Amino acid sequence: MSTSTATERAGPLACCLHVSHTYGHGSSATVAVTDTSCEIRPGELIALTGPSGSGKTTLLYLLAGLDRPTGGTVSWPALGGIEDLRPGPIAMVFQGPSLLPPLTVLENVALPLQLLGSPEPQALAAAAAALERLGIGELVAKLPEEISGGQAQRAAVARVLVSRPRLILADEPTGQLDHENGLLAVGVLIETARETGAALVVSTHDPEIAASLPEQWQMADGRLSVREEAACSS
Amino acid sequence: MFELTWIRGLLAHRRVRLLAVAAGIAVTVALLASIGSFLSASTSQMTRRAIERVPLDWQVEAQPGSNPTAVLDTVKAFPGVTRALPVGFADSSGFQATTGGSTQTTGPGRVLGLPDGYRQAFPGELRTLVGSDSGVLVYQQTAANLHVSPGDTVTITRAGQSPSEVRVDGIVDLPAIDSLFQNVGAPAGAQPQAPPDNVILLPEARWQQLFGPLARARPELVHDQVHATLDHQLPASPAAAYVKVSGLARNLETQLVGAGLVGDNVGSALAAARSDAGYAQILFLFLGLPGAVLAGLLTGSIAAAGAGRRRHDQALLRARGAATGQLVRVALAETAVVAAAGVAVGLAAAVAIGAGSFGSVGFGAGPLSAALWGTGAALAGLLVAALVIALPAWRDARTLTVTGALRQVRRSPSPRWLRLGLDLILLAIGGTLFYLTGRNGYKLVLAVEGVPTVSVNYYALLGPLFTWLGAGLLIYRLAYLTLAHGRGLLTRLVRPIAGQLAGTVSATMSRQRRQLAWAVTLVGLTAMFAASTAIFNATYRQQAEVDAVLTNGAPVVVSESPGVSVGPSEADTIASIPGVRTVEPLQHRFAYVGADLQDLYGVRPDTIVAAGKLQNAYVRGGTVHDLYARLASQPDGVLVSDETVKDFQLTQGDRITLRLQDGRTGQYTNVPFTYIGITTEFPTAPSDSFLVANASYVAAQTGSDAVAHFLVDTAGNPAQVADRLRTALGASATVTDIASSRRIIGSSLTAVQLSGLTRVELGFALLLAAAATGLALAVGLAERRRGFAITHALGAKPRQLASFIWGEAGFMTIAGLLLGTAGAAAITTMLVKVLTGVFDPPPSQLAIPWAYLATTIAVALAAVALAATGAQRAARRPPLEILREL
Repeated sequence: MSTSTATERAGPLACCLHVSHTYGHGSSATVAVTDTSCEIRPGELIALTGPSGSGKTTLLYLLAGLDRPTGGTVSWPALGGIEDLRPGPIAMVFQGPSLLPPLTVLENVALPLQLLGSPEPQALAAAAAALERLGIGELVAKLPEEISGGQAQRAAVARVLVSRPRLILADEPTGQLDHENGLLAVGVLIETARETGAALVVSTHDPEIAASLPEQWQMADGRLSVREEAACSS
Repeated sequence: MFELTWIRGLLAHRRVRLLAVAAGIAVTVALLASIGSFLSASTSQMTRRAIERVPLDWQVEAQPGSNPTAVLDTVKAFPGVTRALPVGFADSSGFQATTGGSTQTTGPGRVLGLPDGYRQAFPGELRTLVGSDSGVLVYQQTAANLHVSPGDTVTITRAGQSPSEVRVDGIVDLPAIDSLFQNVGAPAGAQPQAPPDNVILLPEARWQQLFGPLARARPELVHDQVHATLDHQLPASPAAAYVKVSGLARNLETQLVGAGLVGDNVGSALAAARSDAGYAQILFLFLGLPGAVLAGLLTGSIAAAGAGRRRHDQALLRARGAATGQLVRVALAETAVVAAAGVAVGLAAAVAIGAGSFGSVGFGAGPLSAALWGTGAALAGLLVAALVIALPAWRDARTLTVTGALRQVRRSPSPRWLRLGLDLILLAIGGTLFYLTGRNGYKLVLAVEGVPTVSVNYYALLGPLFTWLGAGLLIYRLAYLTLAHGRGLLTRLVRPIAGQLAGTVSATMSRQRRQLAWAVTLVGLTAMFAASTAIFNATYRQQAEVDAVLTNGAPVVVSESPGVSVGPSEADTIASIPGVRTVEPLQHRFAYVGADLQDLYGVRPDTIVAAGKLQNAYVRGGTVHDLYARLASQPDGVLVSDETVKDFQLTQGDRITLRLQDGRTGQYTNVPFTYIGITTEFPTAPSDSFLVANASYVAAQTGSDAVAHFLVDTAGNPAQVADRLRTALGASATVTDIASSRRIIGSSLTAVQLSGLTRVELGFALLLAAAATGLALAVGLAERRRGFAITHALGAKPRQLASFIWGEAGFMTIAGLLLGTAGAAAITTMLVKVLTGVFDPPPSQLAIPWAYLATTIAVALAAVALAATGAQRAARRPPLEILREL
């Protein structure tokens, strides 16, 4: 089932060109990302590593179109304009609890499909399958308050998978999981990306998880230290 | 200091929450303090006006055998008496005058001896109509009987003495003749005696000259009074002023040691004002308190909308090692800041409202009362702040775990009261109490003459109170059950705006049913408050208009002057005046029913119903048409008051004999009547007992068809027609129009004060309607920014986000208004019934102020639209600080 609504286009999925982002103004300004250029192509599996405060989350937000750069440009040549990115082509796994409290786990996972216009029964069926795949099929009727943090994070991963995006951005998806479940969740993300040809960017502190991805990007002090030569200006 | 740092943080980052709660507290405080202004302004005005209406405070009557001079000295020396003058009363066998070639003789009369300065000391007792202000003054009715004017001579006859002639200097009216000739020392509740028709007032020296000999020969025909004015520095409350004045009167009687009795006119006026004060208290409880409670509930609701965020903050503090004591101190600091701001703004608003609406800038009649009301309102604000902020925070700090505090939606069973059916129990109790209190009529305030305490039947308040609580909880139950078990219905209802998301939107609403049902309840309670207050007020105004018609009798009324006798044919003269549509003659006589003197109206039963605009509420035991048709078919029939039926144990068809004055002889004569029904109201009639009979029968039995009033219906402006009639009829008749009655009724105490109170109430109701809908929704939605931010981050389009917001807003508003309107209908009916005593006459149907109700709904809808649009706009911009917490 293809759920992406964006027209299939050629070229990189996302492209950053001399991007920078500063929070605040004047003396209280904090530079999160500076002069960063990168591109993500379909099928690429990338680990984004770096110390806390190095700008990983901000870069992911910029790539997801959730925030706008204060300098440089971010574009999505293969996906379309910023309005076309979500729901559908890009999906994001957040670091903290991100399930909607009034909806059951099943309804939470089905939500992106419904936002895309899928009829409720199909959306719920796809959501149930995604939950089964992550080994938490028994949680369908639970409310977020009734499950553990780890289960909630796996449900959040299922919510990303269900819409079969072309670019998956995961911000510390294993932060609330034990090592084993963390590996399982990232494994499912990698497997799904490979199946669908999607690109995957996972920010993580865990060297073992980083190592499970074929490509590593390093961030330090707001700068991305690799692949700058691959800037998509050409 | 940690608490200060925390407060600074709250002021910087949780400003909306603090401001909203402070605003709610301000409304509660302002409402309570405004009502304090109303009560203080009312009660002090009631006392002042009651005293102002009394032209003569005390009439101390010297008892037979006592020394009048000693009585005068004692009264003069009595503390609180500012002026005391002696007045002589003497009985005359009759007066006689010869004018225009004919001699007129009256029946027995009274002659008063007034000292110098009496008119200045008691200006309300005498009003000069013609001639001099001093000398020999003749009461206008006497002058009419004798056909005398200034310069004419009147002969005063005295028992056992030779007649004496006096020359008339002026004709006067005696506006307070009833109290002037009262039976001093009559037991409380005794029937008032009719004032004399024949009165002459003489200078003291002349009176002594004429009646000194009579006093010696026939002391029972002459008595002395001391008329006294009191210092009017009395307590503000009519009840307290009454207790003080009547206590002083008793004290004076004690000092007089049986030599004199006090006719306490000012005490009687204050006794009547006590009822008004009692009703003012009742109105406060009925109309004011629900508003204040509602404002408190609303504040609680706004604070509760931020409870999740507060718990979250607490959890973070606790995770960083804060102890329970520190968490409580933080909550107390927040309580103090919010309460201080709310109380300050509320009191300032109340001062402004008091000055604007009641002309009272303080909160009480005196410094103590002001301090009590101000402090009471402030304490109420503090209590609300403590209940909505400190208490939940303290409970959470003691019982919640860190992870528990982070939870926002819990799956919890329905409230225990709902399972137990508390709402239905409360409604049943309310209905039963309403029935029980209504069985004996709704006499809420009893101020018995001669009894110092006023009895206010607070028990009658319990019926509406329980019904109000029960209705509020029933609204919650209905909304809760709809949300819990009506998912299918909800999905269908929101589908037009939510499309494929309808199921998800209804699921969201259903899982938040506690919060949503509470929001519906608040909207419902606000609708109940606004509608019941507005309908009560409109019904009151409607009845004031009915009262104006009843008081005046018709749009224009022509009343024949005393001594002028005209028959029904005068109606033709009146009917010839331009603008006059119909003319209805009305006889007015006095009739003795046993020992009671009552007003008797002689009517034409075929035409009086339409001409007098008689309503069904004016009679008992059938419609007004039924009863007057019965009167038409029974020439000697008479309609009597309820009280008379009870007093004389009458049953329909009983023969009763009334004593009526015969027009030919001037003597009272027995006239037989048949009791055929009960009348409760009649145009121009007094509020107590009176009688209605066939005019033709009365005329035949008394030999006089003299008409007292002509009820005139007009085709044009009544005031203009009245002016034409005045010009045409001259001094022979008094012409009044409804506009002047309306002015008198509209400026009466209850009307003025109630209009002030209701203006404030209706203003607050609008404010609460906006707050219950808009503010509560805005705060609730603001507290769920995180959910909207997630939904937005997942890719929800603005229209999809809007469907969540509008689904909740629509359900809350529509369900709240519908259920609230139904509740308002029940509560208002109950309120108007229980407060029957405030209305004169009691309403036969409620008046619905459609314009105000439409405005209230428009304000509520506008507030909802504003809040929802604001939330929608905010949800379109995912707040990054929230997303960064994810």
